[in-house]
Amino acid sequence: MDLSEPIHDFLLVFLGSGLILGGLGVVLLPNPIYSAFSLGLVLFCTSLFYILSNSYFVAAAQLLIYVGAINVLIIFAVMFMNGSEYYKDFHLWTVGDGITSMVCISLFISLITTISDTSWYGIIWTTRSNQIIEQDFISNSQQIGIHLSTDFFLPFELISIILLVALIGAIAVARQ
Amino acid sequence: MILKHVLVLSAYLFCIGIYGLITSRNMVRALMCLELILNAVNINFVTFSAFFDNPQLKGDIFSIFVVAIAAAEAAIGLAIVSSIYRNRKSTHINQSNLLNN
Repeated sequence: MDLSEPIHDFLLVFLGSGLILGGLGVVLLPNPIYSAFSLGLVLFCTSLFYILSNSYFVAAAQLLIYVGAINVLIIFAVMFMNGSEYYKDFHLWTVGDGITSMVCISLFISLITTISDTSWYGIIWTTRSNQIIEQDFISNSQQIGIHLSTDFFLPFELISIILLVALIGAIAVARQ
Repeated sequence: MILKHVLVLSAYLFCIGIYGLITSRNMVRALMCLELILNAVNINFVTFSAFFDNPQLKGDIFSIFVVAIAAAEAAIGLAIVSSIYRNRKSTHINQSNLLNN
């Protein structure tokens, strides 16, 4: 979305803080129903984030599929298992958690150093130089549809077969 | 530059997803952390598509594929979890030894 610079930055900071708090809530909250709702917050903030980076079709697909289907399915599964067992052995900080947090923090620091060391401007200039300058008169979702029906036709069909097989398998496993 | 901030945010989501995936005792929470990891991948795809591949939009198409795979994975995973819960009356990861006997 082509907003002015301070509004864009403010929205980015707002969505980033929503993502950070939601991600911490998914991992650290003791009750799984609260962590499922904070997962919904994370998915919603991600969808608004896609709108900010001009990809409206992916934002709509994220809202419909993630928030509308997967998060509702997870909340249903959490409510389906009764929640009395979650409280009685809610563990405190153990040695394995410490080791895992050390590993994850070191991974995060190494990723940050890699991101800040890479020269992104050079990559942008090399990719912009050999692109054909074509003015896009057609919209974003039209272009995605054209790509899906020409270049990515075989993966599209394969992904639909995978979805069909996965849904039949899920029903066959869950009913018995 | 805004690209670095977005990549740092995506790296944060990835790391906290891995932390929750390793340390959680509950299977449904492990599935939620797996969704966090897939969301981090999706943010990277959409951001690189918006910055580097602007008229082509191939990253958006890959992120749609990732969303479809995540939907299939959530359906299969929750079906397996409900089946284990029906047999064992528990969803703890360290008690799922159904192949043991």
